[in-house]
Amino acid sequence: MNAPPKPDETQRAADIAAHLEDVSVKLSRTATWSGIETQPSYGPEDIRDTDYARDLGNPGEYPYTRGAYSQMYRSRMWTLRNIVGYGSPEDTRDGIENAIRMGTAGINIVLDTLSQEAIDADHPVLSADAGQEGCSLPMVADFEILLKGIDVTRQDIAWHSTMMTYPMVVAMALRQGKDISKLQGSHMPDHLQLRLAGWSEAIVPAGLGHRTTVDCVEYSAKNSPKWALGCPQAYDIRERGMSAAGEIAIGMAIINQTFGDLIARGMHVDQVAPSMAWVSTSDIDFFEEIAKFRALRRVWARTMKERFGSVDARSQRLRLACHTSGRSLVYQQPLNNLSRAAVQTLAALLGGVQSVETCTYDEPICIPTEEARELATRTQQILANEIGAARTADPLGGSYYIEKLTNDVEAEALAMLAKIEGIGLIKAIEDGTIEGMMDEYNYRHQQELDSQQRIVVGVNKYLPKNSTLPKRFSLDPGRMTSHIQRFKERKAGRDMSVLRSKIDALYQVAHRRENSHQAMIDALVADGTTGEVWGTVRAANGLPYDPFRAIESPFQYPKP
Amino acid sequence: MIGEKIRCLLAMLGTDVHSKGIRTLAQLLRDRGVEVIYLGEHNTADGLINALIAEDADVVGLSYSTATYLHYTRDLLVKMKAAGVDDVPVMLGGLIHADDEPELREMGVKGIFGPGSSMTQIVAFLQDVTGKTLTAP
Repeated sequence: MNAPPKPDETQRAADIAAHLEDVSVKLSRTATWSGIETQPSYGPEDIRDTDYARDLGNPGEYPYTRGAYSQMYRSRMWTLRNIVGYGSPEDTRDGIENAIRMGTAGINIVLDTLSQEAIDADHPVLSADAGQEGCSLPMVADFEILLKGIDVTRQDIAWHSTMMTYPMVVAMALRQGKDISKLQGSHMPDHLQLRLAGWSEAIVPAGLGHRTTVDCVEYSAKNSPKWALGCPQAYDIRERGMSAAGEIAIGMAIINQTFGDLIARGMHVDQVAPSMAWVSTSDIDFFEEIAKFRALRRVWARTMKERFGSVDARSQRLRLACHTSGRSLVYQQPLNNLSRAAVQTLAALLGGVQSVETCTYDEPICIPTEEARELATRTQQILANEIGAARTADPLGGSYYIEKLTNDVEAEALAMLAKIEGIGLIKAIEDGTIEGMMDEYNYRHQQELDSQQRIVVGVNKYLPKNSTLPKRFSLDPGRMTSHIQRFKERKAGRDMSVLRSKIDALYQVAHRRENSHQAMIDALVADGTTGEVWGTVRAANGLPYDPFRAIESPFQYPKP
Repeated sequence: MIGEKIRCLLAMLGTDVHSKGIRTLAQLLRDRGVEVIYLGEHNTADGLINALIAEDADVVGLSYSTATYLHYTRDLLVKMKAAGVDDVPVMLGGLIHADDEPELREMGVKGIFGPGSSMTQIVAFLQDVTGKTLTAP
């Protein structure tokens, strides 16, 4: 015979029921992460207007929706990348060697925040940032220390940076007596992206930035045709606050503007486009990201052929370099980021990208630790070897849902692109239209988090009870201190008459608004620093030598 | 004091470019009736203090996504004291690691809003340190 439950048992049962209600997984959202509404299911009627030959094509065939290559990962495996960069050149060199031992395929280098803004490591106000979030590389001599024994005409090094990187690498190769027409590797010449991603008008004015991109692409296409150009760098634009469709729209606006200007200089699209790769993200919405990669290849192919008159298939088939989304990773219960990054990496592979860097799970907390970087590499190895992600090209092609979503992302992207080009890209950046679009996206995103219309595990629901934070990356500051000391000594020991003549020449060229890349390279060969060379270009364009206005140029510039 | 607006200066110091969070915060504070003086990224301590004096702000809010926040915050607080404006409370947001909170408090930071902080907490802090009450615009 059962006795009636005691009051505390009733309470416990109620607690359990309430708890179960709380933890059960419910559909919290029917729109994609970027906001495209979805249906419960899709069928043939949803893609009635899609024509296989016209809109999809086989993998490796125009318009390349289904992939850039016919055999995809059977013929070319994606490149497993892992970015490294912290502290002095010696610190980063150690990191590169460890990454290679772990199974990273290429050398991938990120620069510190100062070098990324073309500011010297000994800047009186900003020196604390030297070696933060990347490697400090203020002059060619530092590149030589970092890459000692590595031949840049034979080794493929991917540089995750924009300002001054290409001239620095070319200057180093020239100092070593190399033939720069054989230069290997890649960097990301897209300065407009920097302008939008927080460098702001103070560091990279839109007009000068864009002209520098066009100069760099032109110089590279003519002088180092094997060098690859990660352009547009749409990753940061997306991370900053954009939808999947917005990534395509702003990225294509940058591409259209860049190609338009190159053609005006007498170049042909097929001289440049084969060197380009789109730098993309793989964000948290699995199906939407796959659709984005597919839509993007289609938009690119049609633009190259129809708008710019490309006749070379290598220009029309877009290669994608992917870094999984950093913004989607959260600080709370950070081990969950391993799951997020694994799914994002899978989306990138099913979307047919050519290289992937999987974010480390500790990215929201600190510079990646050695262990976190190893796990990011292992994630890709599991996907490649156990999951079967690489077996067959475009495995979701033909899915009613994926095809419809591909069409939807494309349509939204083209509408946004038309709006931006209606204003004019440079104007839309200068007058704040595009930043306004990003602010609007981020604002809505935050409001949806606050109202729980959008759930992020650990952030606004399913909060961890007692999550411990992982160990933080720590770096012995000793090598950085010697690096900055060495930098100052090297500057003091230069042949100033040679450097001064190169700086003068650079000022003149930049003042005439001509392509200043050769003159920048010449000044770097003569041991000019990143801050001096870029500062001279700034001064020649009527800007303060130091964007922080804390130092004056050490050079006397000719009066125009 | 009711009716007087809270004037909050928002800025970033050093080379940090991650201004997404502080831009969104600026909008969310304006929605709640705060008068935001938005300096954005790439400020020096001297530039920030000049703006603070010129604008007569009630509170300074700084955002950081790079690990140098201890250095930049200490430097700013020392210079604020030298300029005689150390009575203006300073709050921090962004990727502030929990382990660094005691040191930040000790150097004089009044509010720390790292990952997981809510607008409710930030608004309560602003009302508390300024003695002003927010009324929606």
